[in-house]
Amino acid sequence: MADPGSGRGFNLSIVSPEKALFEGEVSFVVVPAFDGELGILAGHAPLMALLSDGVLRVETAAGTQRFRVKGGFVQVVDNKVSVLSEIAEEAA
Amino acid sequence: MQKAREIKRRIHSVENTRQITSTMELVAASKLRRAQQRVAAARPYAAKLNEVIRSLLTPELSHTHAILRQPEVIRRSALILLTSNRGLAGAFNANLIRLAQRTLEERRRAGVKVEFHVVGKKGIRFFSYRGEPMTTARQDITDRPTMDDARSLVDPLIAQYESGEIDAIEVIYAQFKSAMSTPPALMRVLPVAAGGDEDGRRSHNYLLEPSPDEILKFVLPLYVRNSVYRALVESAAAEQGARRTAMKNATDNANDLIETLTREYNRARQSQITQEIAEIVGGAEALRG
Repeated sequence: MADPGSGRGFNLSIVSPEKALFEGEVSFVVVPAFDGELGILAGHAPLMALLSDGVLRVETAAGTQRFRVKGGFVQVVDNKVSVLSEIAEEAA
Repeated sequence: MQKAREIKRRIHSVENTRQITSTMELVAASKLRRAQQRVAAARPYAAKLNEVIRSLLTPELSHTHAILRQPEVIRRSALILLTSNRGLAGAFNANLIRLAQRTLEERRRAGVKVEFHVVGKKGIRFFSYRGEPMTTARQDITDRPTMDDARSLVDPLIAQYESGEIDAIEVIYAQFKSAMSTPPALMRVLPVAAGGDEDGRRSHNYLLEPSPDEILKFVLPLYVRNSVYRALVESAAAEQGARRTAMKNATDNANDLIETLTREYNRARQSQITQEIAEIVGGAEALRG
């Protein structure tokens, strides 16, 4: 599947209190926002949103990674996306 | 000879002790390393959380969010004391207990009713011996505390704070400054420190979904919980640091003792030999007549 977007990347970090699960350059991320899935590309407007339980999809140059989160929230600012979740783990 | 054998036995006993203390030192050192990693791993989350809250917080919100209320007088408060389940960590638990006693006394003198929550066998044992009433006493938190531990510890208290049953939540824990320095510290979890710096507040025009109110309602308990989690993780690391230091000192002492005893043993043995030779020579002399 071709990646959507301009091909530009942005920085994503996924952290839980216990550890940082992901940190790096990505091209596209889909987060399970409280009211449905939310796709984020480079240059997204500043945003804070709550997450529900679900799977987070991350597209990097190396391929697709998935993380399971239970609640939490996402912050987008200056082309940096941070996902904070008390319970998060890498999904197979 | 009696004396030399006696010393030999003491050397053996000290050697056995040294074996134990040096093993405990190694175990504590490796646990410390992992605990330190957990302290470090908790930092990005805490930093981000602080940043988000700062950018959402405005003074007016304290009227709409019960968790932000700033009580004028504190009538009842909750005090959480974190101690360890295991001893042999030097003055680690004693320091925490002393600070807890002092804090209890101060609060009571100020007319505050204190609900006392104790974590860790060492604290529980001390205060139950002293007949101090404890609202909760928990021993189930291991040396690898999790977010679940923090949640079960503080969530009921957050609810009590919001409903106005208690006016403050404080935690006594061991700060982890370095492996050598782990002073006991008192942290006020609620009410949250008023204000926050102006800059960074609403500096970006965030799209907020669902609404700032809803987000804060979700994020503020996270913040409180995370403060407690941090205290748990730091205390766990501090315990291992204190134990490693205590066991290192014990091992060093054992080494010194063995050195002194060995010297004493050699001297006893030497004098024994000298005396035997003297006896033989004396006997030979006597025979020659």
